[in-house]
Amino acid sequence: MSEYILKAPLTINWALNNSCNFSCRHCYSRVDTGDELDGPTLKECLTRAARAGVMAVNFGGGEPLLRSDILEIARHAADAGFRVSMNSNGYLIDGAMAGRLKEAGFAKIGISIDSHVADVHDRFRGMPGSHVRALAALDHLKGAGIKTSISTVICTFNHTTIPDLVKMAREHGASQLNFHNFKCSGLGMANKDELDLSPAQWKDFYRDAMTWKQECTDLDISLDDPIIASLGMRDETAMVKGSVCGKLSLNIKSNGDITPCGFIPAVIGNIVRDDLKKVWHESQVLDQLRHKTPKGKCASCSDYAECLGGCSARALAMTGDFNNPDPHCWVP
Amino acid sequence: MKRIVRNPDILWREEDDAAAEAAALLEQGGEAGEIGTAILFADGTMVTLNLLGTEIWKRCDGLTEEELVTALLEEFDVEADVLRHDVANFLQELAEKRYISYV
Ligand code: SF4
Repeated sequence: MSEYILKAPLTINWALNNSCNFSCRHCYSRVDTGDELDGPTLKECLTRAARAGVMAVNFGGGEPLLRSDILEIARHAADAGFRVSMNSNGYLIDGAMAGRLKEAGFAKIGISIDSHVADVHDRFRGMPGSHVRALAALDHLKGAGIKTSISTVICTFNHTTIPDLVKMAREHGASQLNFHNFKCSGLGMANKDELDLSPAQWKDFYRDAMTWKQECTDLDISLDDPIIASLGMRDETAMVKGSVCGKLSLNIKSNGDITPCGFIPAVIGNIVRDDLKKVWHESQVLDQLRHKTPKGKCASCSDYAECLGGCSARALAMTGDFNNPDPHCWVP
Repeated sequence: MKRIVRNPDILWREEDDAAAEAAALLEQGGEAGEIGTAILFADGTMVTLNLLGTEIWKRCDGLTEEELVTALLEEFDVEADVLRHDVANFLQELAEKRYISYV
């Protein structure tokens, strides 16, 4: 079945706010100043998205826990039939909050942790003590019966520390370790030179990460980067070829604007005003993302059918055209 | 005989447009086996099911394998032995992926 005939996205990444108690150096949302939808509007939009067939919603921000109505919104989403998850920095999750999150219907919560070394994480996140609290959040959530994952943005200070990150995830009972590729959007773009890896370093990282992924049976290591295709180490769990954005998922910003993913700034509609299914089926931008035209070295690359030019967001951010080769690509 | 139950962690939905397309093809005597009419989705993995797979999956909610075959035979005009064989293979595949279990 071709992925682009899905009747609606499977999942929506939904930013509830832009406010945050941290100041991370790779953050993509701090450059967003959009308004936040009020609770009743948000609930109405969630109900409509569920009716359209969307099955999962992953709340993000900003820091979603800074929204005072987060529990109510999550409860509404769970009652509407969504599998509800969230990405958080974990700072505000103590034992009592973990219990409330469970009651509100959260099935899974991802905590962002960038290093196994507390100082490194704290400095990067601009918040002393945040590492300790992030790890404690994992323990509290597990105690409350919520599945957890650790989200790590791979960059210059952590790309050689896979064994330590795996150990940390195991010690705190996380079921998944997500290695996010560095996206060069928002503040990530401003700090790119310092944080992003070279194509050769990406290649080494992914080779190691794929080996870990294949060997770890107790921990799901997730790599969301289509350029892995050129390593010849097929990621059996990859759901579609190329980037998933616009094929399986969509992103909604705190003001309701719909974008293909959190890292592609093209606004293709607004969840308050527009019909989600219509946007999904009729957006020209989505159509172009689903039918990319190989440019540059991709045109003659034998891996194009699997890789589809790599991460569209990164190609767009760095070259102005998502049909260009992913700037992280190591193929000569 | 044990009863088949779906793994509650699996999210799934029918793809209405694709199902309509598959039904129309069958009506015209065509082949619809390649058309995905339902999607199963869990923690980063996705499986698409064809029409028969979808009909089996929808009934994995407490029936035994034999009851499931009987239920399908009541609705679809197919050879019993062929269906029994297809159902057994498909259920085995689902069980291996831990999409279903037997209680
Ligand atoms: S050249 Fe293009 S298609 Fe080939 S691996 Fe690089 S990004 Fe992917």
